Amino acid sequence: MAYVAIADRDHHLHDPTTFIEKYVWSQDHKVIAIQYGSVAIFVGLIALVLSLMMRLQIGFPGTFTFITPYKYYEFVTMHGMIMVIYLLTALFLGGFGNYLIPLMCGARDMVFPYMNMLSFWVYLVSVIVLLSSFFVPGGPTGAGWTLYPPQTVLEGTPGSQWGIVLMLASLAIFIVAFTMGGLNYVTTVLQARCRGMTLMRMPLSVWGIFVATILGLLAFPALLVAAIMMLLDRLIGTSFFMPALLSLGEQSGHEGGSPILFQHLFWFFGHPEVYIVALPAFGIVSDLLSTHARKNIFGYRMMVWAIIAIGALSFVVWAHHMYVSGMNPYFGFFFATTTLIIAVPTAIKVYNWVLTLWRGDLQMNIPNLFAIGFIFTFVHGGLTGLFLGNVTVDLPLSDTYFVIGHFHMVMGVSPVMVLFGAIYHWFPKLTGKMPNEILGRLHFWMTFLGTYAIYLPMHYLGILGMPRRYYAYGQTDFIPGSAHAVNEAITIAAIVVATAQVVFLINVFYSLWKGKPAGSNPWRATTLEWQTPQTPPVHGNWGPKLPVVYRWAYDYSVPGEKDDFIPQNEPPKGHHSLG
Amino acid sequence: MLPAMLIAMLTAITVWWLLIQQLKEKPWTKQGVVPTSQETIWTSAPKVGLWVFLAVVSSLFGLFASAYMMRLHDAHGSLKSWQPLDEPSLLWINTVILVLASGAMQIARTRADRDDFDGLRRYFTGAGVLTVAFLVGQVLAWVQLNAAGAYGPGNPAYAFFILLTATHGLHMVGGLVVLGRTASRVWRGVAKLNVVGRSRIRQSVQLCTLYWHWLLLVWLGLFALLLST
Repeated sequence: MAYVAIADRDHHLHDPTTFIEKYVWSQDHKVIAIQYGSVAIFVGLIALVLSLMMRLQIGFPGTFTFITPYKYYEFVTMHGMIMVIYLLTALFLGGFGNYLIPLMCGARDMVFPYMNMLSFWVYLVSVIVLLSSFFVPGGPTGAGWTLYPPQTVLEGTPGSQWGIVLMLASLAIFIVAFTMGGLNYVTTVLQARCRGMTLMRMPLSVWGIFVATILGLLAFPALLVAAIMMLLDRLIGTSFFMPALLSLGEQSGHEGGSPILFQHLFWFFGHPEVYIVALPAFGIVSDLLSTHARKNIFGYRMMVWAIIAIGALSFVVWAHHMYVSGMNPYFGFFFATTTLIIAVPTAIKVYNWVLTLWRGDLQMNIPNLFAIGFIFTFVHGGLTGLFLGNVTVDLPLSDTYFVIGHFHMVMGVSPVMVLFGAIYHWFPKLTGKMPNEILGRLHFWMTFLGTYAIYLPMHYLGILGMPRRYYAYGQTDFIPGSAHAVNEAITIAAIVVATAQVVFLINVFYSLWKGKPAGSNPWRATTLEWQTPQTPPVHGNWGPKLPVVYRWAYDYSVPGEKDDFIPQNEPPKGHHSLG
Repeated sequence: MLPAMLIAMLTAITVWWLLIQQLKEKPWTKQGVVPTSQETIWTSAPKVGLWVFLAVVSSLFGLFASAYMMRLHDAHGSLKSWQPLDEPSLLWINTVILVLASGAMQIARTRADRDDFDGLRRYFTGAGVLTVAFLVGQVLAWVQLNAAGAYGPGNPAYAFFILLTATHGLHMVGGLVVLGRTASRVWRGVAKLNVVGRSRIRQSVQLCTLYWHWLLLVWLGLFALLLST
């Protein structure tokens, strides 16, 4: 019950005793975070392999005969959907949200632990349903991750028999899981902060996760509505989205639905989804940069307001994904304007990250490398977004490799850089061991340089006019031979980046086994999770007494102080501790 | 997308208003102040959780309504398959039943607040029975429409009618599950419960009441939407 989350206690209340209670049907937010994280990384690796298959086909067309056009489109679709929903959303909110919110807010757990546990298991069901589509007749859907009707449902599209049904069912199940988790995250932040933890003393990681969760709770219903209506179109012949048309020479049973309606619903979810992924990354990277630059975050209040402003604006930009679908020109103008306005709070954040680093005592350890790497990739991805946000520039660039380069830089590589930085940063708290430095650096440089080698050339391919979603290009006049050579190089870089992820996995397991003991606060950080009595924190997090917070989360290098950091729960001089 | 945008905007304004109270703080200038009291917070967590859930539910129905209106707009334009329904008059009776259920829930709540647990039992049960009657009535409305025979899944007006009423009904069923759990605790005997047990029952009844009122509002909105076409 809710009171468990924030009560002081002098005995172990409802602590799990059996293996099953502790590690399987666990209601402990930290175990649930690890469960979420493990499943998300597992499906993420599957999506990574799928992307390699795609790249092998594009780089060396005709060489790998097992990659048929049919399979190619299945790989494209599953790669996209898994990465966006089942990896990034699940890992940031289900993984880091679960781990960090109670620890950073000074709570013992989430306010509804049972529902939190259910959230993970329902998420697992959604993943199983999704992956089962690889084994049904016709395979998974190959309609592209946007699942646009009418082709998604029509014969001839891969997976139009069962694949699409399982995909839509899986998404609906995922949304149920997310809602259960999301209710917990929001309510815990609002209700279970320890004494002294005002909203404006919360670390930016919590702010990012908090606002992203609100976005998710309001935006995922759009995907649910779209999924339910498309399921009905597919299964019982309604015509919400399916127009009257001829399919394979025969009249389809549909009577004139609106495919554009699906696009509106999908992108009303789809664009906030970008920020559902990005806002936690913004928050976490702020904490990483501040901690490892030994400086307070520059412009904390502006950072909070920027997170809120970005969250609000993200609901009024969706149709910039639909410029080529045809719309009233005034709408195009409106959505281009809102899209450019959202760049303002985003730019504020970028400036503040750079100014946080300015004249800082930079500790160039692995988390900081990834955090600084994020600033580079995000600025690149963000700037190309300005091109695509303008209607007139978007039209020729739409559906080219420029778009692939843009969105992978801004919402693929950038959040993943933060994810890795965060994993390295909190690995010592999670396991009590330090990650291996050499393997970590190798992982960073291979990933950072490798992803640039993949995505930067794609912008040039896009400007050449090379269309995306093609299985093979053949001999086409407007695509010069050099473009094919670039594609080969991109594929080789992709293989290098994929190999780097093996280095990461080796590092995780090796450090778990032989890592140096971390101690309770190896990064000398101020936030509450580093002040737990035990490392890794035990069930209930805080021992008999909850922490009391006396200051904000960014007291680094305060002039006149002995240490270059002051934990949030350290009383000011002359005060007695209330904890 | 207008209703959805409206809901998003309303939520944003509410969140803004709540946050503005606290976001003026300059955290780097203040140290040592302990402004929150942990003893008072936890009791309202389930209530906050429910409000957040109601925001999700509203977003869901708002988006359904947006889809309905956009599809209807298309029907007036290029897509002609929309054939307006002749809604069964039974829906009016169902609406009255749901209003009564909501009213019964409100009286149950006031009885619980007064520690009148006999009254609570009576009105709580009444609200449950009326809600079941509403759901049965909705199914009968489907049967009536079906018997009319003129509508198939290809008519979006008919498909939307079934979809919206079914989604609303499912939310009511979810509410009935919670109501059933609370009712079973009430029936097992409130006299044996201590102060904390009683206050929990009171809170459950409060939350059920809020949920019922909210779903009544949602239904009134949906009903108006269905009738307007």
